[in-house]
Amino acid sequence: MNNDSPVKAFLVVLIVAVVCSSLVSAAVVILRPIQLNNQLLDRSRNIMQLTGLLSEGVETDDEEMLALYKSLDSRIVDIDQGLFDNTVNTDTFDKRRAASNPELSVVVPAEYDQANLGRRSRHAPVYLVWREDQLDRIILPIRGAAMWSTVYGYLALEADLNTVAAATFYEHADTPGLGDQITRPDWLAQWQGRQIYDAQGEPRFAVSTGQVESGSPAAQYQVDALTGATVTADAVTALVHYWLGPHGYQPFLSQLREQPPVQNSPAPVEDS
Amino acid sequence: MSSFIDIFFRSVFLENLALAYFLGMCTFLAVSKQIKTTLGLGITVIVVEGISVPLNNLIYNLLLRDGALGWVQLGHLDFSFLGLLSQIAVIAAMIQILEMVLNRFFPALYNTLGVYLPLLTVNCAILGASLFMVQRDYNFTESVAYGLGAGFGWALAIVALAGLREKMKYCDVPDGLQGLGITFITTGLLSLAFMGIAGIQF
Amino acid sequence: MSLKQSLLTPLLKENPVTLHVLGICAALAITNSLTSSLIMSAAMTIVLVISNATISMIRKHLPGSVRIIVQITIIASAVTVIDQLLTAFLPETAKTLSVYISLIVTNCIVLGRAEACAMKSSVGTSILDALGNGLGYGIVLVIVATIRELFGKGSLMGYRILETVQDGGWFQPNEMLMLPPSAFFIIGFMVWVIRIWKPEQQEKVDFEPIPLPVEEEGS
Repeated sequence: MNNDSPVKAFLVVLIVAVVCSSLVSAAVVILRPIQLNNQLLDRSRNIMQLTGLLSEGVETDDEEMLALYKSLDSRIVDIDQGLFDNTVNTDTFDKRRAASNPELSVVVPAEYDQANLGRRSRHAPVYLVWREDQLDRIILPIRGAAMWSTVYGYLALEADLNTVAAATFYEHADTPGLGDQITRPDWLAQWQGRQIYDAQGEPRFAVSTGQVESGSPAAQYQVDALTGATVTADAVTALVHYWLGPHGYQPFLSQLREQPPVQNSPAPVEDS
Repeated sequence: MSSFIDIFFRSVFLENLALAYFLGMCTFLAVSKQIKTTLGLGITVIVVEGISVPLNNLIYNLLLRDGALGWVQLGHLDFSFLGLLSQIAVIAAMIQILEMVLNRFFPALYNTLGVYLPLLTVNCAILGASLFMVQRDYNFTESVAYGLGAGFGWALAIVALAGLREKMKYCDVPDGLQGLGITFITTGLLSLAFMGIAGIQF
Repeated sequence: MSLKQSLLTPLLKENPVTLHVLGICAALAITNSLTSSLIMSAAMTIVLVISNATISMIRKHLPGSVRIIVQITIIASAVTVIDQLLTAFLPETAKTLSVYISLIVTNCIVLGRAEACAMKSSVGTSILDALGNGLGYGIVLVIVATIRELFGKGSLMGYRILETVQDGGWFQPNEMLMLPPSAFFIIGFMVWVIRIWKPEQQEKVDFEPIPLPVEEEGS
């Protein structure tokens, strides 16, 4: 068939289209389960770091990590009401998807929106870490706009719901070497033991503008500044103030103080 | 409205496709010898991006993303992996149509641009803008702002570089650096300068 | 040209990045990490080989009117498959490389070689040409990345080589090398070095300076 005939052109395009799309679709279908597993593993690793349940200095392998993660008490919180919400499925809830869905999210009013979120999802997945029937830690997801990108992280609070147990920032696209210092383990280690709220119940935690003077009264609320990354550091302060403030988890944490959570009863033992 | 302006300014200065993300460099370095040519190319890029980014956004949100096909009862399907193919096809088709329109209604501009218009199909900046739009999950108005801003930012960068190259035409550049070498170094300096604008809060 | 020439020419004499200025977009952004650069070069070479081979196989049946769009479709499909494979098996790197893998579609090298070589040559020659160009691209990326990561972070592929001041060592990392513009400078200097070595690649200025009249001594 002549190369210039329109029929040939149509045929060639059709064949190429069919072959290419079959190959691409096949690749996607085959690889999808592996990709989903990777995402789950990634999330479990980020959260498990903060639980204090991992053995020190020992590498936990993937299977064990996933098993430990699945055994965590994860619940969905309705942020505005400040209560646990049992109607939302913890396994399928996607907080990022919800944040852009107008039905599942709310607009953040300008006077609270220091973290430049625009919208935030109505619900959030939180993780309760139990130690012998007592609440040991609670892990809260946090995010905010930084210099070049949105920073995503988790904050773990001790049982008093005021002291930081640990923190991590697992996703960002800020400048390597500058903004990405927020992932430095030695800086994040400083967060441990810091207080979030002051005596009046206002969020006071901040990344300081210089080195923290250990004697001063403000020291318990501060971590050291980040060299050359003021914008990112300020963004971290802003996002902590938002998420632990009145439009964030503060109502939920106040409710928790008055009505401590109950550990879900363990699965019934099988009769032998 | 403020979000529109915010995204526009961010994409022109802080997230400039050419100087911060280095997209569209090939055309950038090959074409930027004369301000006149680059001005024409820049305007074309603004038009192409201003149309292709919102168009790709519509296609992505109505047809491809996870759950998008809910309006024909096929909400469980996720075609987002076809995103790349559909975006590049839309861009190629758009540029073809633009070529025909320009040829018919603006022949002077068509002649100035010559071969560069079809080359825009494989310009990283145009595809890159659509890819970033998907990655950042913009809605329709935001993607209009982003498309226009990204195009404008790229045009600004390329015209600035053309101006610099015109000035340097009569400078005594070492033989080995002549042309390509000194352009790279100049662009690096220009890029550093633009990074200094980051951190400005609007 | 001979098969060996097809493979070796793109490495230095006709390097796609330093001579033809092709495909530098990604080269600049991801070269702050040697691992990313290696994976990016590998991905690029694979896409190049697949697309060159496929286009060369069907070149005799490709009508002129749909030539470009068919080439782009084949390249885009190859890139999508590579992207999916990366996300499945190397998720960390896939996150860092994110947009830049998809941008291989518009990478001038891929389409450029398809037009210049695959449309005119046999499958064997096209594959070798693809390998050569991929390697040439890879060499530039690896050199830039090595400089940037070693002197910017003190590590290579994540392994600590130079003890940085932050870790109590002696090496003060050059923070500017972690910023993207440094890649421009490094490639600029590389081009300089190559053109001193191979003067035939130097660009000529398109004017001749008029010599100044020489002052007469005495008189």
